[in-house]
Amino acid sequence: MENSLLFKPGHTACAGCGQAIAAKIVIEAAGPDTIVVNNTGCLEVFTAKFPETAWGVPWIHSLFENAAAVASGVEAALKYLGKKESVNVIAQAGDGGTADIGLQALSGMLERGHDILYVCYDNEAYMNCLSTSSLILTKDGLKKITEVKVGDEVYVFDQKTHQLVIKKCSGVFDNGRKEVFELKTLHHTIKATANHPFLVLQRNGRGRQNALVWKALEDVGAGDRVVTLKSLNGGKPFKFPQVEKVERGDFKVNKINEINLPGESSVELMKYLGIFVGDGWRRSNRGEIGFALPQGKKAREVLVDLHQRIFASKVSMHKDYVYINSINLAKFIDTLGLGQGAKNKTVPGWVFTLPQDQREAFVEGMMLADGYDCRGSKRYVSANPALLQRLRLLTQTLNYRVGKIHMQVKKKGTLCVSRELLADSRYGYICFSKKKEAQIEKYPSQYRYRDFLIDNKFFQTEEVISIESKGIEPTLDLRVEDEHNFIADGIVVHNTGVQRSGLTPFSTSTSTSPVGKCSAGNVRPKKPMPDIAAAHGIPYVATATVAFIPDLQRKVKKALSIKGPKYLQIHVPCPLGWRYETEQTLQVAKLAVETGLYPIIEYENGVLIPRKITPKPVEEYLKSQGRFKHLLADPEEIRKIQAVADNNIQKYNLKVEEQVQQKITQ
Amino acid sequence: MKELLEGSRAVAEIVKLCKPGVISAYPITPQTHIVEELATMVNNGELSAQFVNVESEHSAASLVLGGVATGVRSYTATSSQGLLYMGEVIFNIAGMRLPLVLTCANRAVSAPINIWNDQQDSLSLRDAGWVQLYAENLQEVADFHLMAYRIAEDKSIMLPVMVCMDGFILTHGMEPLDVPEQGQVDKFLPAYKALYKLDPAEPVSMGLLADPDYYLETRFALQETLKDVLKLLPKVSAEFKSVFNRDYKDCLIEEYMVKDAEKVIVAMGSVCGTVKEVVDELRKKGKKVGLLKVISYRPFPYQRIYDSLKDVAKVGILDKAVSLGAYPPLAAEIKGAFCGKKKSPKVISSFVAGLGGRDITPETVKEVFLKLNQKEVNNEFIDLKPELLKESYGE
Repeated sequence: MENSLLFKPGHTACAGCGQAIAAKIVIEAAGPDTIVVNNTGCLEVFTAKFPETAWGVPWIHSLFENAAAVASGVEAALKYLGKKESVNVIAQAGDGGTADIGLQALSGMLERGHDILYVCYDNEAYMNCLSTSSLILTKDGLKKITEVKVGDEVYVFDQKTHQLVIKKCSGVFDNGRKEVFELKTLHHTIKATANHPFLVLQRNGRGRQNALVWKALEDVGAGDRVVTLKSLNGGKPFKFPQVEKVERGDFKVNKINEINLPGESSVELMKYLGIFVGDGWRRSNRGEIGFALPQGKKAREVLVDLHQRIFASKVSMHKDYVYINSINLAKFIDTLGLGQGAKNKTVPGWVFTLPQDQREAFVEGMMLADGYDCRGSKRYVSANPALLQRLRLLTQTLNYRVGKIHMQVKKKGTLCVSRELLADSRYGYICFSKKKEAQIEKYPSQYRYRDFLIDNKFFQTEEVISIESKGIEPTLDLRVEDEHNFIADGIVVHNTGVQRSGLTPFSTSTSTSPVGKCSAGNVRPKKPMPDIAAAHGIPYVATATVAFIPDLQRKVKKALSIKGPKYLQIHVPCPLGWRYETEQTLQVAKLAVETGLYPIIEYENGVLIPRKITPKPVEEYLKSQGRFKHLLADPEEIRKIQAVADNNIQKYNLKVEEQVQQKITQ
Repeated sequence: MKELLEGSRAVAEIVKLCKPGVISAYPITPQTHIVEELATMVNNGELSAQFVNVESEHSAASLVLGGVATGVRSYTATSSQGLLYMGEVIFNIAGMRLPLVLTCANRAVSAPINIWNDQQDSLSLRDAGWVQLYAENLQEVADFHLMAYRIAEDKSIMLPVMVCMDGFILTHGMEPLDVPEQGQVDKFLPAYKALYKLDPAEPVSMGLLADPDYYLETRFALQETLKDVLKLLPKVSAEFKSVFNRDYKDCLIEEYMVKDAEKVIVAMGSVCGTVKEVVDELRKKGKKVGLLKVISYRPFPYQRIYDSLKDVAKVGILDKAVSLGAYPPLAAEIKGAFCGKKKSPKVISSFVAGLGGRDITPETVKEVFLKLNQKEVNNEFIDLKPELLKESYGE
C-alpha cells in the first residue's frame, strides 16, 4: 500500500485484508476534515493499539455496538460549535457491530436524521487452537504452551523474508476441551484442533512461483507439505546464575574439594552435561555427583578428561562408576534444571537458546552415555518418553534428519546388565543423522521445484504423512504480534479464530456454525442490511466492494455530498476467515459480485440503481474459498445457493438486458 | 432569592445555567421530568444546546460521550434500569477520561420491577471510576451539580461525576431553594476548554486498545486521580462558599452533632433530613446522638470518617442498598475505615432500610438508635413484615 497521511502504514492487519484496503479508500475519499467513530472490531484493533495509531484524522473508539450513537454525539457537538458544515462524520463497524449488536444504535441514528455516513465493512463473520501438550519455541528456550505468558518473546516465521524472527506473544487463550487431531510429518508431530491454520506449500504449476498459504488443519491432507523448523542458528552461551560457593573454613564442611565453577556455557561443558543427563546422578545433601560409567566405556575417559579441564578438580574412581565429592559442584548442577533420576531427567529449555556447536555438543554427550551408532545413523535409548520428545526437538534445531519415537517393552525376566528384570519395562529410542547438503545446483528441479525453501537456513517444508483424531483434549492458543504465527512442536502454525454473524451468508462454515453431519453450516441467509437501512427512508444507501475501487471512491464522495444519514456496506474478503490465498482478495470479491451473491446497488432517495452483471454460476465463487469447500460435492446445497443468487438478480434487477448484451458481444 | 421548585425543575434550572452544548437522554421514571424540562428550555430557546432524543440509555450515554469527546460540555440523566443499561458506557467514559456530569434519580432495581426510591442503582456502579456525590435536599442537588462540573473538568482530574438524588423524594418533592444568577455561575464555572478533543485541526486517536503492557497503568492512574479528588473537593467547596455564600465544609462528609455524641447514625441522601430531625428531638431529651452524612461515596473519605467517628462509642450505618451476600455498600466502607486502626467504636452495626421505596420514618430512625444499645448486628433489615416472609408456594 502506498503511503497515506490519513491511514498510515504500519498497522497490523493480515496480508490481503480486504477491510484494511477499503478503510484506506474510504478515509482518503472523505479527506482530512473528517472525524471517524469506530466500533470495536478487527479494524479498531489493527489500527489503534496503544501507543500507536494508523489514523491521521481525529478518531475515536468506544465500544462494540455504539459507534452510531457516539457519532450522533459528535455530530450534535459539531452542530453546537457551528462546525458541522465543514466536517464529515463517519461511523464505521464490521458486520457484527452493524447488523447484530449495533443494529439498535444504527437504527436510532438513521431515524433521527443525523448527518453521518455509516460504513459497514462486511466480511461476513466474526473473525483456533493447539493441544496443551505442545512445546513452543521461545527466546528463553523451549516452553510448554501452558507456560507461555503474554510478553514472552517467541520465534516466528517472517512471511515476507522467510526468515526466523522474534516477536512478542500478545495473548494466551484457553479454548476449552475440543477434539484434537495429530498431524505427522517424517520428523514432526503436533496435536491441534481441526480449524487451526498451518502454513502449507502451494505449487502453482510449471514455470510459476510456488507460494505458502495458511490452511486449516481440516483442509490439510496427507501429501501436502507444511513448513517446519529446520535449524536454529544464532543463540548465545547461557550465563549461569551465581552459585553461592561454600568456602574452606565454613562450619558445614570439614573437607572441601576445590573446584572452579564456569560462569557460562561452553562446548566442553555442554558435552559434560549431556553425559550427566544420560548417566549422571547427584546427591545434593552429600555433595556428590556420580556417573554410572564402568571401566572400559569410552565415555568414562571423555568424562574424566572433561571434568579435569572444566572444573580442575579430583575425580574418584570405582570399577563400575566415577564420582566427584563436591558440595559446590552439586549445588551448581542443581541450578541447571537437568532433572534427577532416570525418569525425570530432561533437556532444559535454556539449552535451546545456545549456539549450534554447544547444542551439538550436548547431543554428543547424551549419545556418549546412552546412544550407539546403527546403520549410519545415531540411536538414543531412554526409558523416559518426555526426555526423548525434548531431545527430538533439540535435534530438529540442528538440521538433523530425525525419526519418530519408537516405544518398546522389555519383558519381565530379560537380562539387563547382569540381573533379570522384575517387571515389564518400557523404553524407547529415536534415530537421527546429520542431513546431507542438498545438491541444488546439480539437481535443481528435484529440489527447488519440490521445495522452494530448500536454501532457507531456518525453515523447510515437510510432507504430511498422516492426520488422525486423538480424542478430546484441553486446548490453548497464543496470539503473536505482527506475524500472527509461532513455532509449536517444530511446526509453523498461525494463531487464532471466525464466528457467525448476522451477515454470514447461507451455508457458510464458521466456528460457531460449523459443518457437521446434520448441518451444512450457517442455516440462515444474510440479513438484508441495505434494505433495512433504506426502509428508514434515508437519502442514500449503497453497497460496494473492494473489487471495484473507483466505484467505492465515487460512492463515498457522493454519500458525503448528501445531507442526512447515509449507509454504505462494503464487501471486504478476509483471507484467514474465508480461507483463500492472500493475493486473491480482489478476485474473490469480484466473483461475489459477478455471481449475483453480492449485489452492488444504490438507493438514491429510495430509487434503486443496480450495477448490472452477466451472471456466472455460483460454483465459481464457492470454489474460490475454503469456507464453502464442504458444499462443492453437494449439488443440492449448490442449487440452494444458486437460488439465493437468482433471487438477488431478480430482486435487484441485476442482469444485463438482452439488447445491451448483444451490443457487448458485437 | 428563594424559589419554590419541584426537584426535577431545580436540576433543569441549574443544568441550564451550566450551559451544556449536548444533552441526550431516554425517559425513565423518576428522571423523566428533568429531561422534559430541559427539552422545553431548548425548544423555547432559553437554552442553546443540541437536545437529542435517543432510542435507549445505552445510546444516550454513548451520545454524550461523543459530545464531550468533541470538546463540548454535555449532560445526561437516568435512573435504575437505565443506569444499568448504560453500565458498559459508564465504565468506558471514566476509562477514556471524559468529564461528563450525569444525574442519577436513585431508584430500585428490577426484579421485581419497582419504580420507587433506594440507592441500589448508582451504588452498583461504584467501581466504574466515577465520582459519586449524594445530595440530602434540593439546595444540595443544585449546588452539587455546579461543583460536579468544576471537579470533572479540572485539568488534574478529567473524570465523570454522578450527582445522586433520591427518586421521587427529591425529584418530585417541592422545596424553596436559592437558584443562583447566571453571572455568579459563570464566575464559578468558566466555559469548558477540553484538554483533548476530536478536531480535524489537531487529529488525535481516542479509545485505543491497551495490551497487558499498558492497561494496568491506566487503572492505577484512575485510582490516583480519585485520591486527588479528595483533596480538590474541599478547595472547590471553599471557592463555592466565596461565590454563593453556602458552606459545605470539605464537601466530603457532613457532621451533625457528632462531636460529643455517644451514638451516631451514618447515612447518605435524603434520609439524612429525617435523621437530623430525630437527632434534634432526642438531643432535647438529653440523649447524646448525632448523624454523619457521607456526601462523597466515591472517592470514599476514609481518613475524614475515621477522624470523625473514632471516639464515638456506637455507630449505626443505615444503607438504602444491599450488596447481596456481603455487608451493605456503605457499611463495608465504614467498617473498612477502622480496620487495623488504633481507635474504633465499640459497636459498628449495619442496617438495611427503605429498599424499593419503603418509608424510613422518624420511628424507623429511633429504632436504629435503640438497636445500638444491643450488641453489634450486621445487615439487619429494618421494618420487615414478618407476615410476608411466610412461604406460600408449593409443598
